[in-house]
Amino acid sequence: MRPDSQSPAVLNSHVALKDVAKAYGKGNKAISALEGVTLDISRGEFLSILGPSGCGKSTLLMMIAGLLVPSHGMIEVAQRPVTRPLTDVGIAFQQDLLFDWRTVLGNVMLQADMRDLDRNAARAKAQILLERVGLKGFENRRPWELSGGMRQRVAICRALLHDSSILLLDEPFGALDALTRDHMNLHLQNLWMLERPTAIMVTHSISEAVFLSDRVIVFSRRPGRVVYELPIELPRPRTVEMRDASEFVRFQHQLRQAIEVPQ
Amino acid sequence: MSDLISRVVYPSLVFFVLILLWQFGAERSLFPAYILPAPSTIALRVWSTAPIMFGHAIVTTLEIMCGFVLAIFLGVFLAWMLAYVRLFNQAFYPWLVFIQVLPKVALGPLLVVWIGVGFLPKALVSFLLAFFPVMIDTLAGLKSVQRDYVFLLRSMGASRLKRFLYFELPHALPYIFASLKVAITLAVVGAIVGEFIGADRGLGYVLIVATGTMDTVLIFVALVWISILSLLLYALVCLFDRFFVSWHAAARHDQIRDAA
Repeated sequence: MRPDSQSPAVLNSHVALKDVAKAYGKGNKAISALEGVTLDISRGEFLSILGPSGCGKSTLLMMIAGLLVPSHGMIEVAQRPVTRPLTDVGIAFQQDLLFDWRTVLGNVMLQADMRDLDRNAARAKAQILLERVGLKGFENRRPWELSGGMRQRVAICRALLHDSSILLLDEPFGALDALTRDHMNLHLQNLWMLERPTAIMVTHSISEAVFLSDRVIVFSRRPGRVVYELPIELPRPRTVEMRDASEFVRFQHQLRQAIEVPQ
Repeated sequence: MSDLISRVVYPSLVFFVLILLWQFGAERSLFPAYILPAPSTIALRVWSTAPIMFGHAIVTTLEIMCGFVLAIFLGVFLAWMLAYVRLFNQAFYPWLVFIQVLPKVALGPLLVVWIGVGFLPKALVSFLLAFFPVMIDTLAGLKSVQRDYVFLLRSMGASRLKRFLYFELPHALPYIFASLKVAITLAVVGAIVGEFIGADRGLGYVLIVATGTMDTVLIFVALVWISILSLLLYALVCLFDRFFVSWHAAARHDQIRDAA
């Protein structure tokens, strides 16, 4: 056992990235999506990744999930290297990816069907989750009867059904308008605080990142690398009013500057 | 109401006017009866031969259904293999396209030599004509799956079979049903042509016999039965389509409404 493995920080580490890089293509035509990313994410932490389009943020998320393979470096989850798709994970994508042939409840239950979970327990959990995000009474509706915001809430409930220890959010509210988005942030915080999984979210919205996160990191343009890191020390649960607080505004300001002036 | 007129009344009107003109022309002997017999003559013959013709229609229907069902299963299965087994795709895709390029009814005589003039060769010709559109459309459906759906299901630890049954197959169903509407009409052609080549029963056999005896009225009787059979089978496919992929029409309708 390594001596430093006794220190609390390391024990607490849940997702660790060591000098991770990803390039698409081969030889001279290879395009480097991200380079030299080293990160340590603690158990139960909510981390957001901000950065310009195409800086490899989503790629990073998919590599943590074991769905894409890094070209270089190593990713560890719970001190084990990721070598195949993680299953102790819930993912919400930019598109809601709901199945048109399933009802709202059926879409959340997909998670249980794929994992052979106990159906009754899963159904009860699904109903609790849907109720939490204001979708009680919509269980038997079909996805096309719902608004974009409602659809994305269903997708997040689906990602949380199985109590996984990691929640990956790939710009889940990117397609929504600003007002709906603020509302969705509250819903997401609400759901996340139920079980407090380790959450990693990719976003373009500075205010969303500050509102939800314990820590925000900023990526540079392609090839993406970490250029700035900001702990968000605000009490939870965070409220709508806090968005106007001077601290909140200051965090936003710091992040905006970090994005505009990459090192 | 105006919807009813445009969808039922107008087409029926066209039909009856044409029949009336035809009947009028036949009674005035504008054309010889052995080329174009009067609709009333045909109708009477349809009525008097109904029991015998029904038997022939049953035979042809069974051949069609057999070929069609085989085309569905093999078409979907081959599409699945082409979509997910790379080596199979590389080795067989060109040959499957080659088979499509061949005039498959030309294989009919060979089938008769191999397996005789019974039920099977007709079902096989029917299958040969019907399976290709099913395979190609199913393949298009399976290939239109977005990467993120696959990622989502893999992160759920879904097995290969579950991914197919719960996602890929239902996702491809609208494509499959679109192809079935083409395939069912081809299956009818296949069975009839199969019967041309060599048969002792079936609607295609009746056509050949009627041609041999210059019995134009009987040719028309057979055509009436074939048309009705085709229509019924097509309607049946549409019914299944509505039942199994109602969600697709509804979702699509919603998108169009949003876009408008």
